[in-house]
Amino acid sequence: MSAAAPLPVVEVRSLSLRMSRDRSAQEVLHEVGLRIGAGEIVGLVGESGSGKSVTALSLLRLLPAGVARYGEGARISVLGRDILAMGEAELRRMRGADVSVIFQEPMTALNPVVRIERQLCEVIRRHRGGSLQAARALSLSLLADMRIADPERAMASFPHELSGGMRQRVMIAMAFSCDPALIIADEATTALDVTVQAQVLELLRQRARAKGTSVLLITHDFGVVNETCDRVYVMYRGEVVEEGLASDIIREPKHPYTRALLSALPGRGLPRARLETVAAAMLEGGEPVVRAAPLPPRVLDDTRPPILETRGLTVRYPKPDALWGRATAPLPAVDGVSLVVRPGETLALVGESGCGKSSLLNALVGLVPHEGDVLYEGAPLRMPRSGVQMVFQDPQGSLDPRWPAWRIVTEPLTVAGRKGRAERRRLAAALFDRVGLSQDAIDRRPHEFSGGQRQRIAVARALSVQPRLLLLDEPTSALDVSVQAQILNLLMDLQDAAGLAYLFVSHDLAVVRHIADRIAIMQRGVIVETGDTATVLASPQHPYTRTLLAAVPRLETQDSLKPIRG
Amino acid sequence: MGERLLRAVLPQLGKLLVLLFTISTLLFFLLRQAGDPAYVLAGVGATPEQLAAIRLQYGLDRPLFGQYLSYLGNVLRFDFGASLITGDSALGTVMQRFPQTLQLASMAMFLSIVVSIPLGAWLGARPERAGRRLVSGIVFVLQGAPGFVLALLFIQLLAIQLMWLPSVGYSASDWKTWVLPTLSLATFSAPSLTRIVAANVTEALREDYIRTGRAYGAPFHTLLWRHALPNALLGASALIGVQFAGLLSGSAIIESIYSWPGMGSLLLEAVQTLDFPVVQAEVFVIAILVFGVNVLMDFTFRRLDPRLADAPA
Repeated sequence: MSAAAPLPVVEVRSLSLRMSRDRSAQEVLHEVGLRIGAGEIVGLVGESGSGKSVTALSLLRLLPAGVARYGEGARISVLGRDILAMGEAELRRMRGADVSVIFQEPMTALNPVVRIERQLCEVIRRHRGGSLQAARALSLSLLADMRIADPERAMASFPHELSGGMRQRVMIAMAFSCDPALIIADEATTALDVTVQAQVLELLRQRARAKGTSVLLITHDFGVVNETCDRVYVMYRGEVVEEGLASDIIREPKHPYTRALLSALPGRGLPRARLETVAAAMLEGGEPVVRAAPLPPRVLDDTRPPILETRGLTVRYPKPDALWGRATAPLPAVDGVSLVVRPGETLALVGESGCGKSSLLNALVGLVPHEGDVLYEGAPLRMPRSGVQMVFQDPQGSLDPRWPAWRIVTEPLTVAGRKGRAERRRLAAALFDRVGLSQDAIDRRPHEFSGGQRQRIAVARALSVQPRLLLLDEPTSALDVSVQAQILNLLMDLQDAAGLAYLFVSHDLAVVRHIADRIAIMQRGVIVETGDTATVLASPQHPYTRTLLAAVPRLETQDSLKPIRG
Repeated sequence: MGERLLRAVLPQLGKLLVLLFTISTLLFFLLRQAGDPAYVLAGVGATPEQLAAIRLQYGLDRPLFGQYLSYLGNVLRFDFGASLITGDSALGTVMQRFPQTLQLASMAMFLSIVVSIPLGAWLGARPERAGRRLVSGIVFVLQGAPGFVLALLFIQLLAIQLMWLPSVGYSASDWKTWVLPTLSLATFSAPSLTRIVAANVTEALREDYIRTGRAYGAPFHTLLWRHALPNALLGASALIGVQFAGLLSGSAIIESIYSWPGMGSLLLEAVQTLDFPVVQAEVFVIAILVFGVNVLMDFTFRRLDPRLADAPA
């Protein structure tokens, strides 16, 4: 920053850190340097395991004491004070007062059995002292500043009674409550819907600017960095590999990893172009090769009979209140949805949490009762059916942890009839081959695979019965950007090779822009807009589609959506 | 509100009825397997003529199913007949003993809670420290040790050697007679309660909201007592319900050791003397008690945990 700010709020130099687990110590940070000026908003970007959260938590020494060992020359200075030399009591006076943290999980970061009022007032009185009335008054005004419509009611609520966005506003109110010099936002908006994320980020940014508060924004999302941060640090495997002005780095990334990460982002290049994967880029001598050769346009034949069709599909959940006799007609979670998926094409179903997209999927596979028709190849769909398979969001939870991989991927086969062990292992090896996993790995159990590999296993399991239609429920949203790129590439390859049709449920418009032929936007149980992807995204007709599009953090303006570094 | 309450209570009443019917039925046929009541009634050395007369008098000569039906009819009217030993009303005999058992169980439960919660919180806060590992080990051994062994040790130490307390007997006015039975009964419930509180506290201290508290400068004692413990107790309170029901119904051994005039010792006597009406009445009362305590606890948890408070029953 300029010479007017001689003393940076944060100055980290050669920060190395080893964390010990089960007697073995692992270096998680290597010679990290970081500087945050007064009033600056600084981004810290990287994938999971890159060390970004560990770096941020070190600023307040919040890592478990027995586990973290800082290196010899490490220096962490916050507001000119040496954090690594501080006593616990002095640290506590800084935590929440000079530096405060907003955590990622709005569901769990607040105590579930304590009312918001007490949680806010506890922090305020700890650092500012004063009466409970004064703390209450301050809490109310903070919540009002966060544009919470009814602060009194929010104060009297327990965390579970508030939405995710509201809870994150409460957390931001708490973060600002003692006028800190620095706020660390650790993936603070990652768990939120895109429209809520936009509001919460804007609140954070405005308030920080108004108060001159510095912000360290930890994120994996370059769009968020672009719209919020002044400067950015990129971390990879415990090291800072690049730093600079946010706009510079996004426009002209210098380090191969940054370049790889940016080209792994879907929705920037040509639709359905192969996405660069970080691993590949780092292996190929550090130069990501962007294959931007124009692809033959996909010809969609709308005259073919649909493989899947729903007519007036409606899902209602019985209201709990019905038990008490006040049986009001329940609001349908899915309200008269009619969709068509044709062979070999991808229909994306897009909407925010609670819009009914999961209910719709569950109804398709018969997990919840529904009204209306579901037709598969023109006849009513009855599950289980080998032609229709499902892939879930969480590859961790959807694979039995005690089963070897070969048993998992061939399980659908056993629904149809018994198969011998040798036969199943042979099929598993072939399936592993198809999804790009080593055949030698079929005896491993799920925990021995990475998140991306586990999702490949889930895809392999779906492929085992030679389906014609895959129902994909947010298949990449639990994955890092580079891993997401791999899975999207895999899905596109499989589609080209086997003519699979996808019903792809997602909240991520960039992913959808990249992979989908057609798109259906869902809001409050109703499809509000549908059409081919390019048309809908280029000229959205429905106000909700426009809101959704406007809320997506962008890397560049609309007209520069061309392949990077062609 | 009245309707709401009614709708919450009615299904529970239904469950209770099914439970009582099943228990009464099981009890009737099981007790018939245990021995012929006519022999008990007639006493040792009765002649076949006397036995036949008694069978006639008590309807024991009728077909078993007919006896069962009339037994059910009596149960419906809470009529369990008279004790075969004293001739008093069986239900009256049981209810006479109920207050002493309730008193003992309540005192033991109270003692368990008062000891287990702070001890469990202390153990759970830093379970890896050497001193607490030792205490955890002792608690573990106590949990495994049969309660009556400890009771006998208490009597040996506190009553016989130190002569601080009376070893047996009960007096409603002398608190000294309450101490040893309470202590002994509490050793049934306190160790497992301590262990579950400790485990829950350790788990709660790993939650995200504790990290939030730490990031906002809360000292450890605030995190432990004000944030982790209330969450830990939600889980432990389920065990408290089960334990209280257990103490009410399972104090037979302790009551016998201390000659405590409660339901437990009564049940033991009644079983030994094949006093069927008293056994039936007591099991019936215990079933209602256990059920009632469970419903009450269920209701209380809904009050304690805000996340359950507005969930449907």
